[in-house]
Amino acid sequence: MSDTLKRVIDVTADLLKIDASAIREESRFVEDLGAESIQSIELVAAFEEEFDIEMDEDEALGVKTVGDAAEFINKVIAGE
Amino acid sequence: MAFRALTDEEIAILEANGCVSSDWSLVSAADGFDARFVSNIEFRGTVQIGALGDKRGQDNSVARLKNAILCNVSIGDGCCIENVHGSIENARIGNAVRIKNIGEIVCKGSTGFGNGVAIEILNEGGGRELRITRDTGAQLAYLSVLYRHDTELMNRLDSMTDAYIKSLESDRVSIGNGTTIKNTKKIINTLIGDAAVIDGVSRLENGTVDSSPESPTHIENDVLAENFIIQKGASVLDGAMLQNCLVGEATRIGKQFSAENSALFANSEGFHSEICSVFAGPYTVTHHRSTLLIAGMFSFYNAGSGTNQSNHMYKLGPVHQGILERGCKTGSSSYLLWPCRVGAFTAIIGKHYANFDTSDLPFAYINEENGKSVIIPGMNFFTAGTLRDGIKWPNRDRRKNQDKLDFIIFDVLSPFTVQKVLNGIDILKDFSEKAEKSQEFVNHKGIRIKRLLLKTGRRYYQLIVDKYFGDVLMKRIEREDPNKIADIFRPSNEDTLEDEWIDVCGLLCTKSRIDSLVREVKSGDINDYDSLHAVFEKIYQVYEDDEWQWFLANYRKIHGTDLCDETPEAVKTLLTRWKDSSLKLLNMVLQDTGKEFEGTVAISYGIDGDAERDFTNVRGTFDANSFVNMVNKNMNKINSMYEELVSRI
Repeated sequence: MSDTLKRVIDVTADLLKIDASAIREESRFVEDLGAESIQSIELVAAFEEEFDIEMDEDEALGVKTVGDAAEFINKVIAGE
Repeated sequence: MAFRALTDEEIAILEANGCVSSDWSLVSAADGFDARFVSNIEFRGTVQIGALGDKRGQDNSVARLKNAILCNVSIGDGCCIENVHGSIENARIGNAVRIKNIGEIVCKGSTGFGNGVAIEILNEGGGRELRITRDTGAQLAYLSVLYRHDTELMNRLDSMTDAYIKSLESDRVSIGNGTTIKNTKKIINTLIGDAAVIDGVSRLENGTVDSSPESPTHIENDVLAENFIIQKGASVLDGAMLQNCLVGEATRIGKQFSAENSALFANSEGFHSEICSVFAGPYTVTHHRSTLLIAGMFSFYNAGSGTNQSNHMYKLGPVHQGILERGCKTGSSSYLLWPCRVGAFTAIIGKHYANFDTSDLPFAYINEENGKSVIIPGMNFFTAGTLRDGIKWPNRDRRKNQDKLDFIIFDVLSPFTVQKVLNGIDILKDFSEKAEKSQEFVNHKGIRIKRLLLKTGRRYYQLIVDKYFGDVLMKRIEREDPNKIADIFRPSNEDTLEDEWIDVCGLLCTKSRIDSLVREVKSGDINDYDSLHAVFEKIYQVYEDDEWQWFLANYRKIHGTDLCDETPEAVKTLLTRWKDSSLKLLNMVLQDTGKEFEGTVAISYGIDGDAERDFTNVRGTFDANSFVNMVNKNMNKINSMYEELVSRI
């Protein structure tokens, strides 16, 4: 598991108040982890704070799974 | 209309037809009167009758008088009055009126027909009484209800209302040309305008039903109304109960809706629910049985089912009030404890026991988290609902009359909302700088904001500002001669540049415009309803010019230089930010719309078959959705407008 993915899982677990061990790379934020629309926005903000980055809102909110979020964040960090 | 005495031959025909009068000399007739069309009428006092025998009116029935007691009544040409079980007393009936199967229409003594009734609006405990009249528009009501700090203004408005009411007072009710009244029990001291339809009503007492051929008013089926004004084009139907109320132009009321001490201005809708002491500005909508709205001011408001509000803390009585600025929505079973003031275009979900003021944090979500109220600034701007609302309101203006009473600026983004967005940016920035990372929340005027979302909210607000500034600039460039663009970028009126903007119950304008109006009222330069209305109209007409000046002033404030002194490159940068923010907004709206087609939304579909096919056949697909297509077209339009206008700079 990459460092980014681990941190994404930790942030997600903390914000959604669920056990980190229950979160998989393929877990979907809404359907599997029960994130409500407001929590999706909080997650974006939490990732931004965790990784000290700024994400494009409309693109970030299109991300569906934990693994995709980690990949998206890596791209932002890489400046792609 | 000229009337003459009846001839002996006519009296003989009338008597043969079962008519009686203690003094036939008090009965007179106009040209076209035909006694053969009058039967079983008891004439009391002075009665004047117009032409009879032809076919007119809404049902094209033969004009005749049959089975009625008429006491001190004048009847225009071509009327049909039949089967009046009580009497018609002290009435002026216009031409082509149909009155059939009714109980009584009477005027008891001198009356103002509901004009001047003081309703305890906004604050149920009193102190903000609005004296309703046939010509009370939303803006006049706003001043009357909310400018209690200015006693002299209140006195002047009162004097204007006194004079207005005096001009209407009469001991005769009027029923306008072309009106139909049928199957109705009691109409007492109620004035009815032209082309109205009153059908199956239980009781109308001390009121005015204004109506015109271009904007007819309908009152139908078991309605009970007392001390009321109903303005042109309204419909009040199906068991509605009104007491001390004003129903504004093209407002729709029905389905056992009940209202007390309330005013609902243009295009509002009230069904099933109950309202009390409500100042319902234009487009206030409440459709559900279990909803109670009380002691609040709203506009462009949608109350979800079971919305509830309290104005009582069991101390000094029901003395509290609340304001939801324009464009708010309250979710199902939401609750607000007054006093509260909620910023424009905010969605409120859950139950709120805190007293908060979010007027400088518009376009927000307010939700309940562990029993506490939490606000997410800016989030509600990026929802499909807000975009749809902004498009639908102007398209749903049902008012057909030219002499509209309420002036309405529909813009979702305006100097009024964007000045608050700018305030919001400052507030959130200040919190961001001061909040500790360990803090989960910060508190603003009684409500919590998640620290994590301070930056997000600020970013949302900046997108709104970028979009709005571009919108204003694009609108102006489109409107003007491209050769004069440098001139139009120059501020023209220093006085109003940085003025505060207010929402005068649907009319957005600078505060200085209203201050000036108030001065004119107090000096006596404005001394009647007509001149007051004319000034509101003028303010309405200069909206775009004032908006432009506000934009120029704020551009200078933000960028430190006047737009007219900017290089073409800087203007292009502004337009580029507009394009980017507009496209981002629409992308986020599409994301929001997409949630309507994915994930758990298909729960309960395909109960005995294929869920996906069932869902698609019922709801359609994202790609084929008309709203999605509209958004996509808008995105294309933004790109082409940008290219075209940049080439003109």
